[in-house]
Amino acid sequence: MSKAILTDVTKCIGCLKCVEACKEVNHLEADVPRVWDKNDGLSAENWTSIIQKPGDHYVRKQCRHCLEPACVSVCPVGALHKTEIGAVIYDSAKCMGCRYCMMACPFGIPRYDWDQTVPHVEKCILCYDRIKEGKQPACTESCPEHATIFGDRDALLKEAHKRIREHPGKYIDRVWGESEVGGTSVLYISDIDLDFLSYQTRPVDMPLPKETSPAMDAVPYAFFGMGGVMLGLSWIIKRRMKLSEEKSKKEDSTHE
Amino acid sequence: MNRVHNTKIVLWLITGLAAAIALNRFVFGLGATTNLNDEVPWGFWIGFKLSWVALSAGGFVIGAIFYMMKREKFHSLVRIAILTAFLGYSSFVVSLIFDLGLPWNIWHMIIYWNPHSPLFEVGWCVMLYTTVLVLELLPVPLESTSRYAAVRKFLLKFRFPIVLLGIMLSTLHQSSLGTLFLIMPRRLFPLFYSHIIPIEFFISAIAGGLLMLAFETLALHWMYRRKLETDLVRLLCSLSVWILGLYFLVKIGDVVLEGKVGLLFEGSWRSYLYVGELLLSTVIPFVMFVVPKWCANRKVQWIGTSIGILGVVLNRIDIGGFAMRDATLWYTPSWMEVVLSIGILSTAALVFIFLIETFHVWDIQPRDPEALAHTPPLFDRVSGAWLGNPKTSALTRHTLAFVISFAIGMALISGKKLHAEGIENVTVRPASGIDTLCINGNRDSQYVEFPHQAHIGWMRNGKISSMTLDSIHYVLRTGADSCLVCHHLNLPGEKLSICWECHTSMYSEVDFFRHDWHASSSGANLKCDDCHTPGETRTAQTARKCTGCHPSYTFADTAGNGADAYFIPSYVDAMHKLCVSCHTIESRVLKDKPNLALCSTCHRTGTPPGLRAGMKWDVTLPRFDNVVLPTPVPGVK
Repeated sequence: MSKAILTDVTKCIGCLKCVEACKEVNHLEADVPRVWDKNDGLSAENWTSIIQKPGDHYVRKQCRHCLEPACVSVCPVGALHKTEIGAVIYDSAKCMGCRYCMMACPFGIPRYDWDQTVPHVEKCILCYDRIKEGKQPACTESCPEHATIFGDRDALLKEAHKRIREHPGKYIDRVWGESEVGGTSVLYISDIDLDFLSYQTRPVDMPLPKETSPAMDAVPYAFFGMGGVMLGLSWIIKRRMKLSEEKSKKEDSTHE
Repeated sequence: MNRVHNTKIVLWLITGLAAAIALNRFVFGLGATTNLNDEVPWGFWIGFKLSWVALSAGGFVIGAIFYMMKREKFHSLVRIAILTAFLGYSSFVVSLIFDLGLPWNIWHMIIYWNPHSPLFEVGWCVMLYTTVLVLELLPVPLESTSRYAAVRKFLLKFRFPIVLLGIMLSTLHQSSLGTLFLIMPRRLFPLFYSHIIPIEFFISAIAGGLLMLAFETLALHWMYRRKLETDLVRLLCSLSVWILGLYFLVKIGDVVLEGKVGLLFEGSWRSYLYVGELLLSTVIPFVMFVVPKWCANRKVQWIGTSIGILGVVLNRIDIGGFAMRDATLWYTPSWMEVVLSIGILSTAALVFIFLIETFHVWDIQPRDPEALAHTPPLFDRVSGAWLGNPKTSALTRHTLAFVISFAIGMALISGKKLHAEGIENVTVRPASGIDTLCINGNRDSQYVEFPHQAHIGWMRNGKISSMTLDSIHYVLRTGADSCLVCHHLNLPGEKLSICWECHTSMYSEVDFFRHDWHASSSGANLKCDDCHTPGETRTAQTARKCTGCHPSYTFADTAGNGADAYFIPSYVDAMHKLCVSCHTIESRVLKDKPNLALCSTCHRTGTPPGLRAGMKWDVTLPRFDNVVLPTPVPGVK
């Protein structure tokens, strides 16, 4: 069963309990401002953050755990893995540090230990170990306002649509994460536009790995096609040379 | 003037500088060496080394022209081309070792497979192709000895399939390097993003490879002062015209068909970058080489090939990092990034020169006149004492060049500043003219009234005991501006006041002075003597005060003096303490107000009295709106 998180932006009061709980559960150290920090509050030591938007809206940012994650598809050594319960988890033992996942993520989530000599990729893992133990993620558990809740993805989607239906005018009629980039396991409903969470404008619904797959599918054709073209070329040219040689020989003999 | 020798000296100098930076990279990490950040995790290194692979394409192009299409004219170029390719790929792998965060895991690609990843495919192709190049090159050094004649013969027997495999592998990874960027449609600026990047990469690699070979031929002849007798360079240039034209058509076609023409004239620096790149990588070299008369001109050849190569390099660097759209963090490569990259190339060039001088790679085997010049040491005629060598040998000079520039490099590397200065500045809304604040901190319909002016008044006229005055170090030390940093006008999560810089945790106690971080080279990078007086025992008491470096941390000095008591309360506790601690003290001191410390004295429910007409007390309102602003007090700003 695919698990998910639903965050209701209208309910969040920005108390940062989730950030605190996340730090404690995942043993993250206190944050020090760094030159490589992006201004969204996420860092190698902050796997979730609260972004404040004008008009006192608080938006929690975290890994979206896409249903078809770009990071998983690009990792050359398979250090990132989408589990069956929905979490995208990271195996630091496999990672070789190419940072392709950071480049590929449409939400700009993964962070890097730039200051470490043995650096790793840092991102939310949906408290994978806790879910396996039957608990819920630390962030949803700690939320005093139940602004961010945990459950089955299907049930949460239903709940999201129900809330939008029951409070007409309160929410924008859209569940973020329902379909963009193929759907994500972290859903949002909100009274403000949340497209700032991803790069640029509204993400298309096509999963990002699909952008690469045509080129990747063409690989064997390109490989053997080029081989065939080269073999054919060399055969034709060889034959032509042979023919012209014979011809010149013949001409030579007739001259004699 | 000996061009060979001077070139070598310059290359050794750069190599020495780069060696120092390489050391820095491994001792202090990527953050201390590069300007990469969480927004732009790939940058100059990746882009630049992608261009090395593109410029190495001559290896497979000449292989195809010579072995497959039997163009005998190019014979003298074959070995040079393959050696260039080999060194290009080797430099690529070497530079990966610096770029990867965990380079010792680079072999993981062999055992952990993810065939969906373009990088996985590139990695395998590069591994296989480098092996192929070694097999293609191996007969050359084996020529010099008859011992391995059998091996050489065996390799030559399989030359055709080996070259064919090389061409096939090159086709794959030259294009797959473009596939790497297909997954970033929203990350790359639309002009640079295209669904046919793989094809563009492949074509531009062929053009770049040809131009690189032409440039190399020119440079080699210049360096060894040989007259260029064949018209090979002209041939290469005129051959590249076709490819350059095709590349231009593909690029412009993509821009037109995808409806991106408007972006070309957008006027943003990225559109200029794209137009400039298009000019350098296609238009200018195309125009220069398309006229046969110009194409045969030596000067035009020099300029045209250099510009074409620059264009390919610029294209790869743009896509690798500069063409990021709307990056909130600006990325410019650090000098260390640039020098390390160039240093790797210099090392490759040195290896190249060594190989062509040692083996029969070129059509002749050139000599470094300096390396041959052997002058015997000088001895005193009478005593026979050694007077020294009349001329330092080439080896000594190269070693000196390396060592000196390595030392300069080490001196230049000072601890790069890795910590940002505080937190972003946001204008604080001051509490001007407000007398009573009704604070509904938890949005739970309870509120606390805070008579602001009254508190200041009590403080001034001594109604508050001196004991309390000491404990509210915060208000006292920040003086009249204390309102500006007052918590109650901050919303939780807002990093407006300096409180946040020490009370970094919302709910748990924190160690506000991190000694390890201050001393670490990746942190504040301070030396012991920067804070501790030399000669004295190094304790917290004798150390420099916090305000010595952080003038705004006025009250941190008092907190630090309790020996190792660097633990401070959480943000929430600290803010509560602002009121509660004083109230506790006052409730003991003041005889007439024993209930001052009770929660219920201040926390009230219901609608606050004195609500201005027209204002509603609504608990669902965002918090700042719940701070009620009754009638302004005259004379207070």
